[in-house]
Amino acid sequence: MVEETFLTDEFLRQLIDVGEVDVLIGLPTHNNAETIGPVVQAIQAGILKCFPRDRAVIINPDAGSRDGTPEIVAGASIDDGRHASKLYALRTLHSISTEYGLHPEPGTALRTIVAASELLRAKACVVLSPESTTIEPDWIQRLLRPVYKDNFDLVTPIYRRHKFEGLLMRNLLYPMTRAIYGYGIREPYASEFAISGRLATDFLTKESWDNESDRISPEMCLTARAITGEYRICQSFLGTKVHLDPSAGDLVAAMRRTAGVLFSSLDSNFSLWSTVVGSHSVPILGPESELVLEPVQVNLKRLGEMFSSGIAELEPVFRSILSPATLTELQTIARSKDGNFNYSAELWAKTVYEFAASYHKSVISRDHIIQAMVPLFRGRTLTFVLENRDSSAEEIEKNVESLCREFERLKPYLLEVWSHRK
Amino acid sequence: MTREPGWYKDAIIYQVHVRTFYDANGDGIGDFQGLAQRLDYVQELGVNTIWLMPFFPSPLRDDGYDISDYRSVHPSYGVLDDFKAFLSAAHDRGIRVIIEMVANHTSDQHPWFQESRSSANNPRREWYVWSDTDTKYRGARIIFLDTEMSNWAWDPISKSYYWHRFFSHQPDLNYDNPAVREEMWDIMKFWLEMGVDGFRLDAVPYLIEREGTNCENLPETHQVIKELRRKVDEQFPGALLLAEANQWPSDLRPYFGNGDEFHMAFHFPLMPRMFMGLRLEDRKPITEILQQTPEIPPGCQWCLFLRNHDELTLEMVTDMERDYMYDMYAKDRSMRLNVGIRRRLAPLLDHDRRRIELMNGMLLSLPGTPIIYYGDEIGMGDNIYLGDRNGVRTPMQWSGGWNGGFSNADPERLYSPPILNPVYGYQAVNVLSQKRTEHSLLSWMKHIIKVRRSSPVFGSGSIEVLYPANHRILAYVRQLGKETVLVVNNLSSAAQAVELDLRRYKGNILVEMFGKNIFPRIGDLPYLLTMGPYQFYWFKLRRI
Repeated sequence: MVEETFLTDEFLRQLIDVGEVDVLIGLPTHNNAETIGPVVQAIQAGILKCFPRDRAVIINPDAGSRDGTPEIVAGASIDDGRHASKLYALRTLHSISTEYGLHPEPGTALRTIVAASELLRAKACVVLSPESTTIEPDWIQRLLRPVYKDNFDLVTPIYRRHKFEGLLMRNLLYPMTRAIYGYGIREPYASEFAISGRLATDFLTKESWDNESDRISPEMCLTARAITGEYRICQSFLGTKVHLDPSAGDLVAAMRRTAGVLFSSLDSNFSLWSTVVGSHSVPILGPESELVLEPVQVNLKRLGEMFSSGIAELEPVFRSILSPATLTELQTIARSKDGNFNYSAELWAKTVYEFAASYHKSVISRDHIIQAMVPLFRGRTLTFVLENRDSSAEEIEKNVESLCREFERLKPYLLEVWSHRK
Repeated sequence: MTREPGWYKDAIIYQVHVRTFYDANGDGIGDFQGLAQRLDYVQELGVNTIWLMPFFPSPLRDDGYDISDYRSVHPSYGVLDDFKAFLSAAHDRGIRVIIEMVANHTSDQHPWFQESRSSANNPRREWYVWSDTDTKYRGARIIFLDTEMSNWAWDPISKSYYWHRFFSHQPDLNYDNPAVREEMWDIMKFWLEMGVDGFRLDAVPYLIEREGTNCENLPETHQVIKELRRKVDEQFPGALLLAEANQWPSDLRPYFGNGDEFHMAFHFPLMPRMFMGLRLEDRKPITEILQQTPEIPPGCQWCLFLRNHDELTLEMVTDMERDYMYDMYAKDRSMRLNVGIRRRLAPLLDHDRRRIELMNGMLLSLPGTPIIYYGDEIGMGDNIYLGDRNGVRTPMQWSGGWNGGFSNADPERLYSPPILNPVYGYQAVNVLSQKRTEHSLLSWMKHIIKVRRSSPVFGSGSIEVLYPANHRILAYVRQLGKETVLVVNNLSSAAQAVELDLRRYKGNILVEMFGKNIFPRIGDLPYLLTMGPYQFYWFKLRRI
């Protein structure tokens, strides 16, 4: 049987013209004309400054933009053509785009990038977000160098964040991933990261690219692959990243892309994670984290209301997912007066684990399970904000660390509910 | 030999130092009788012009570029009659001879300088550039950074400073003095009347000094050259003036004037970029310098080279490019000298036959007259431990026998030890063994020179650089009248596929010029070629 090909002939032709490279910059896009300019400039500057002697290419899988995004990216080429760039480069910098309109999903974009990386035998591949308007040229070096020079296989970022940004990461993804797989990766599923050629090849050759996790959140699958494959992982501090808290609609989608995929990954890797106890740190290049502490306005009342109404409205759903004890506790919190609201770390960890186990068993539609987590996450967010309203950066870090340890401590509980749901 | 106009455009020049080539009298130093005896070899190689490095009387503190008598031959190399015999023998074989004219400076042992320094009132005083202070012309850079601290040197005899752009034992002549200009022309006439076919003028940008300038490329310098050229054209039509001016192409262009200054000039910036492009596996450095290369008047020509008697100069590259070149080609710091790399072609290219062939292929197909440095046609090595640039000036390796066949003298008596190491030594690399092998580098060089000489398009044709999407491929079309040649070079160490837009030549077939095999006819579609590592093609386009 002829295997299906997902790279177009035109794209292959362009890859042939590029030939072997040392570093590959992947830039997936879809109608990003408004933000892509500074990203492209930072890439050019980063390559010229830090990798002037190395063979480099920008690969731009585009999901069918109609705003000229691919043309902007293609303009990043520095070559000897008649319209030579004003930038001085020792060697040619290629920038090529390919449209993957057939399956315009993040998984296809990343698959295109790693396929190009393998075909061009890139030693290191960095993937960047087209919306990173705060990107600095140094990001390229900070992500690529550990792979290129120090033989790491996966480099994940650490950003300078406001203390109330990235709450999903700090309250769920980081603590759970750390407890499950034993790796303390601060941003395990970032849209900016770097991988080695061998990890790219391994990732590309995985059996299936068809399941939902692969399609909607390939970064997560990649990180899971790196962890389970015992690849060398490190973290690199990048700096400020503009991060907007997702709106209500976005939060469901974000949950799907992150928690959903994390839960899903547990199915296939049970033998690997079930024996992991505790966690070990992952090397960090630069500061471990930097928090911006300016006060911001958070609508605490609204968060509380959304949590309480969710508990009430979704009770039948929660009865399928949660243990009676957990549900009772949550209902008690929902009734608590203003000022006494406390969704504890222990209860939050138990809640998440019970959701993961229910997801594993598909007690109801998996999508409904993920959607049902949203109001609970808002409750946990409320507690986090209340706890850390006046905290210093050190105190916040301490609280996050404490939450992580709670997830680790309760991991046996996950194993218990995984097999025998209470 | 008659000197047809423009003969130098179709020339292939062989650069040789008489001292290094063949020792006929057994004193350990090459000489004119020896050079004459080896002219058959030069003829068989296929070159048609010899460029002789300085052979004049000299203290030899700068390998002869410090002349103490412009009208004679250094006694180590023979007498004037030996030179005349050599010249005649070369002409008999259809080989022209150009010689050095070190016009900018003399040796401090030259009688002119001895007189000049003897007294401020001496009639020769104004033949050199003197000053009571060492503060004039501060804008002039120091060229030999490794050895010189200043362009002024104190003369304890005349108690004043004299100007020198190179070594301090090489005082600059004062070209503001008409007597100097007249004397230098008399010297050139002396050699032209004897029959030499032209001169390579050494260090021409530095002839004149002016306060407030960098003392390079000054308008007054161009006036000196125009005056010389006018005299050459009037009295010795067809004689060649070749400029050594290590400058950017835009600064070099004025040395062609309106076709009334130099006939030829070395294209210095191209050479390091060929090495750079090869190592980067990217045509960009080469095509960019070609783009920056201005048109030159009809009758003028660029002179191209890969290596010569000097260091591989890196003055005409950016700092970033220079660092790259040092790291790639001269990791050992002792390989570096001044602003360059003192190595021969074969060691620079790691003794890689494919890269040596590719570089020679480009040398012989890019627009200009190529120069082959003696010994590079057999892949001779160097000796970086000999000091200065002597490591690339070792005896020619004729055979695997006594002194490599260069001399019958005791080895200890040779002017320089021959290359002895197992890879490049004369027992491994020599003319005799390569003559016996059809596929030796020497045999290949003879073949490519023959192919180059089979078409005037290489010497006189225009160039159009193609820009295929595969940047590892350097492709260009050379055209002269109805003759068109397509050159395609793969700069990569890996096989490459390339699609060339040749639609304007639709209907032509390609004839590969080495094997004479035909390739498919050009149609409407991009012309696909697959090329092995470092492979190159020369195709003649034919409409049949």
